[in-house]
Amino acid sequence: MTEALAPIGTVLTRSDASAKVQGCEKYAADYYPQGMLWAGVKRSAYAHAKILRIETSKAVEVTGVAAVLTSGDIRGSNRVGVPEMDQPVLADDKVRCKGDPVVLVLAENKKALELALEKIEIDYEVLPAVFDPREALKPDAPLLYEQRPGKNLLLSGTLERGNGAASLKDCKFVVEGRFKLPWQEHAYLETEAGVAGINSEGILEITASTQTPFRDRNELSHALGLPADKIRVTAPYLGGAFGGKDGITVQGLLGLGAMHSGDRPVKMWTSREESFLSSTKRHPAELHYRLGCTQDGILLAMTCEVVLDTGAYAALGGAVLAMVLEHAAGVYRIPNVFIEGFCVYTNNSVASAFRGFGAPQGLAGIEQMIDLLADEAGIDALKFRLKNAVNRGDTTGSGVLMSNSTGIISCLKKVQRHPLWINRQDWVNNAPAFKKRGVGTAAGMQGTGYGPVILDIANAKTELLPDGRFRIYSGVADMGQGNNPTNIHIAGEILNQAPKDFELLQPDTGSCLPSGSSSASRTTFSFGNALIGACKNLKERILTRACNLMMGAYFENLLLARGKVLDMTSGREISLQAIASSMTEQERISIFSYIAPAAKHPESVNSEIRFLGFPHRIFSFACHLALVEIDELSGEIEVCDYLACTDAGRILNPQIYEQQIHGGIVQGMGYVLWEDFRIHNGDVLCRNLATYILPTAVDIPDLQSLAVETEETGPFGMKGVGEIGINLPYPAISNAVAQALGRRIYEGPLTAERVLKCLNSNPTGGKSED
Amino acid sequence: MKNVFLPNSIEEFRQIWSAVPDAVLMAGGTDLLVSLREGKTKVKNIISLERISELRHIDCSGGEILIGSLVTHQQILDAPIIAEALPVLRQAASLLGSPAVRHMGTIGGNICTASPAADLLPALYLLDARLELHTERTKRTVPITDFIIGPRQTSLSEGEFLYRIRVPIPVPNTRAYYFKVGQRKALAITIASMAALLRLDTDMTVLEGRFSWGSVGPTVLRFPETEKILQNQKLSEPLLKEIGEKSARLTEPISDIQASADYRRMLVSNFPLRLLQAEKYTGSNGKK
Amino acid sequence: MKISFRLNEKMIEIETAPDRRVIDLLREDLGITGTKEGCGSGECGACTVLIDGVSKLSCLMLAAQLEGRSITTIEGLVQDGKLHPVQKAFVSHGAVQCGFCSPGMVMSAVDLLQRNPLPGRQEIRRAVSGNLCRCTGYQKIIDAIQSAAKELD
Repeated sequence: MTEALAPIGTVLTRSDASAKVQGCEKYAADYYPQGMLWAGVKRSAYAHAKILRIETSKAVEVTGVAAVLTSGDIRGSNRVGVPEMDQPVLADDKVRCKGDPVVLVLAENKKALELALEKIEIDYEVLPAVFDPREALKPDAPLLYEQRPGKNLLLSGTLERGNGAASLKDCKFVVEGRFKLPWQEHAYLETEAGVAGINSEGILEITASTQTPFRDRNELSHALGLPADKIRVTAPYLGGAFGGKDGITVQGLLGLGAMHSGDRPVKMWTSREESFLSSTKRHPAELHYRLGCTQDGILLAMTCEVVLDTGAYAALGGAVLAMVLEHAAGVYRIPNVFIEGFCVYTNNSVASAFRGFGAPQGLAGIEQMIDLLADEAGIDALKFRLKNAVNRGDTTGSGVLMSNSTGIISCLKKVQRHPLWINRQDWVNNAPAFKKRGVGTAAGMQGTGYGPVILDIANAKTELLPDGRFRIYSGVADMGQGNNPTNIHIAGEILNQAPKDFELLQPDTGSCLPSGSSSASRTTFSFGNALIGACKNLKERILTRACNLMMGAYFENLLLARGKVLDMTSGREISLQAIASSMTEQERISIFSYIAPAAKHPESVNSEIRFLGFPHRIFSFACHLALVEIDELSGEIEVCDYLACTDAGRILNPQIYEQQIHGGIVQGMGYVLWEDFRIHNGDVLCRNLATYILPTAVDIPDLQSLAVETEETGPFGMKGVGEIGINLPYPAISNAVAQALGRRIYEGPLTAERVLKCLNSNPTGGKSED
Repeated sequence: MKNVFLPNSIEEFRQIWSAVPDAVLMAGGTDLLVSLREGKTKVKNIISLERISELRHIDCSGGEILIGSLVTHQQILDAPIIAEALPVLRQAASLLGSPAVRHMGTIGGNICTASPAADLLPALYLLDARLELHTERTKRTVPITDFIIGPRQTSLSEGEFLYRIRVPIPVPNTRAYYFKVGQRKALAITIASMAALLRLDTDMTVLEGRFSWGSVGPTVLRFPETEKILQNQKLSEPLLKEIGEKSARLTEPISDIQASADYRRMLVSNFPLRLLQAEKYTGSNGKK
Repeated sequence: MKISFRLNEKMIEIETAPDRRVIDLLREDLGITGTKEGCGSGECGACTVLIDGVSKLSCLMLAAQLEGRSITTIEGLVQDGKLHPVQKAFVSHGAVQCGFCSPGMVMSAVDLLQRNPLPGRQEIRRAVSGNLCRCTGYQKIIDAIQSAAKELD
């Protein structure tokens, strides 16, 4: 780690990079505790079935098998999930999707484990299943939860403003669009992994690849029937997560295993195939829009219906729906709006959090509608956006007041002034033979944090160590985005110490403080603010103690410098080690709690939607520009240039900032161009990375990222940057492709096959629906 | 547990194989180990051929390029003789898998796995490659078209293995191309591919034209009757379109997770037009 | 069976099942966990190692194949406590995020620079096209390799 002080706003090399690039950073998957057993799961072969009988005797007899466990071995509620605890650790009465875990096996080695899993016999009574969310809403649809009052409807909500749909008739131009968005798989490189054991004090210790160690502890306590203080969860660096580890994955199985392993540690690490089968996905969405404007291109009315398939368990589906609704009208002032959304249980794979958390779906819809309408009204798409975009103090079509910094107009103008935009027509006109070119833009935002009801709280803890160095107790996991190094950067700035002077303890429910999830673009926003508070308090305490120790020194003349406190008037100094040795442990530790600002208005929307996060107060903004070239012979799309202008507040570290923008964009490109996670009648068809297509280094161009820096309430004026990048490639590229083809493809992703079929079905061009 | 044998010579290999005749032969392992993982293949013994240096040579003799069956894709990319005499094979190898896969996978493995989507096969069909098959006692040479009899099926007899591949060097002034469409640009399973060979007169009259089609039938396909359309005609867009459309009608593609049969046919229809692009390109650049 | 090979410049002799995958031998038997597994079927590149200096996938190799070979894993790149120039460039150019692809990515880059000391950007992209990264969007990885090439040249 570096010796130099690194001011906020400058590049500070990530403190985690060196260990990671040497292969010595230990991820959850890298733990192989002494004497461990392998844990593995027999998963459901049916999408919906009653479990009649589980025969484990043959599995138990396999040499090397230590335990075979079923739901009957679980003492607690056997249910995890927030806010609805509906997902069993091991299925009891029935299975609701393929891949549901039914039997847990512990074995000495992977071969014995595999053999034992093969020998488990489960008798099922197959039940009628439902795989289409609209079908699932019909009165005679098979029910996943027989007792649930809402039947298969997990949650619905409406947002209404002005005269709603009625105002469409007052519009000069009205366009309509129905969009179908695919499942997206997180495909983090480190599949779900962890180890667990019971320590000598009888505490269940779990080290897992998780975004939510503190929430996991609470859920595990409930599900496994252990008091929370008998559970300790630690979260080392994650090998990627993107929302897919926002909640329990293998932790429940690990905990259960450790409670029945004869005091031996257990390890579980899913194979890629098992991960694809059992992990959560981005919600597939169907969006039906009508959007209208005046003669001058002023937006007047919008209707939108959203249907999300949340799969067999609620997970965070309700909150994702709230987020889709909030972003479904984008960054525009639209006075008359009716938005309606349904999040529905089906017997498909579970959908939950995924980077953007519903915003990518909402923005994929509205931003394509804006292009359709701008085209209809004969107005340049960027000018159209500028005419209608919100300023601070405006309210969006979804009814969200922009009370804080609102940089969307600056982002749009920055794109408008960029040579790629200015010279676009020349570029399009110069398409080579058998190629078509198109240019598209999209604008949008990303809400930060948990919304108005559930407080977004972070509790930071820092310690002046006896040797004069500092320790940060992180409450939020680092899934790769670099919040740990950023915490060191922030603390270094406040305490005026070099990165080398810090050590950082990763989230550990045994010693760190609960600070919420690593998600929602709030990780650095909330924990960073808490950390600033904790560091400021500690600094004051250090300087005060220095006054005590240096007779005659005045607080205001003291400077906290690297490793010491300096009296600027006399030149005298005292080492931090000396100060630390004069303190009790209690004094050396500083704790600060921070509650993020939340929007309280409007209160008119339904209470569940509010509870689940509507509306947000702090938003990041962006405008993206995509230049694409389509091969007429194959339908392949090449993104030739890509520009992102982003307002995520002040940039703390340009390198980490760009990492998030680049990574988000490329994941968004995957979403729109290649990633087609197919599930047919509950069967996961994309079983591995050969059939689920992620972009490789040769599929992506060099990206350009420009920043619009606004001031905000975040630490040093930052806003979240983790998600905004993924929100706009879908509509920007779709708009570019639509321009190139002269017509729009409404179902994603825009695979070469879909593009070529579109080209061939109507070779003369012109508008028509796919 | 499976036994894994690593003979260092053909002699040693023959001894081992006669002792464990049920053993599966492993070339680069990039297909076999995936198939074992998926439980599609069950084996007791494996003989890895990677250390038999005799199988790793590329030679030139009697107007033919002789390629040992254990020659890796990377060797094909690196060998000057391939670049000079069989550039189309090099092009195909360059589009296969990823660098690490090319360092491991071999031409013999690509042939014996006999996947209709295999990247080297269209080029080998196009070039009329012949395969030298050896048993302990016998040797025979068969055209590749007779060797691959269906998806993942070959006419290898018991105790027979692919020793080397013999590829006749095309006459001067022929140009050959390989075009492939996958779901992305690297690490991509071929959705459809075309290898084409053209011998043109100075005025663009086609003296000879050959086409082979990958991943649109149970094996790589060639349609000699269709190829004749080109004979003594000037290369033109309508002519190439005709070749594509006629060939597309003759293909027998399947629909799978990568693509539909319809899409595959569309690609076949369009592929020949790529020659127009390529010819223009090489023309203006003066490269061949 | 007993196999012996050179691992990061050290001779190793180990008793193992001949059909054990090299990745398992490294991670589970030898406790060297820098080499990662992301798919087990050659589709992600996280398990890339160098065998006699050439990048290969340790999930698609059997332990027996190591006999007499020299294998370099990510742990073997550090010399006298100093990072390899590629590793150094990854750190300074911000090419590492979650880091789970980094060991394999670095090994592919080292292989490339041995073959082609001054590759162009597109050649670099091709050289790491078998290594999936879900975090970075690749750009900073390409920057890092380009800079390492200049440094090594």
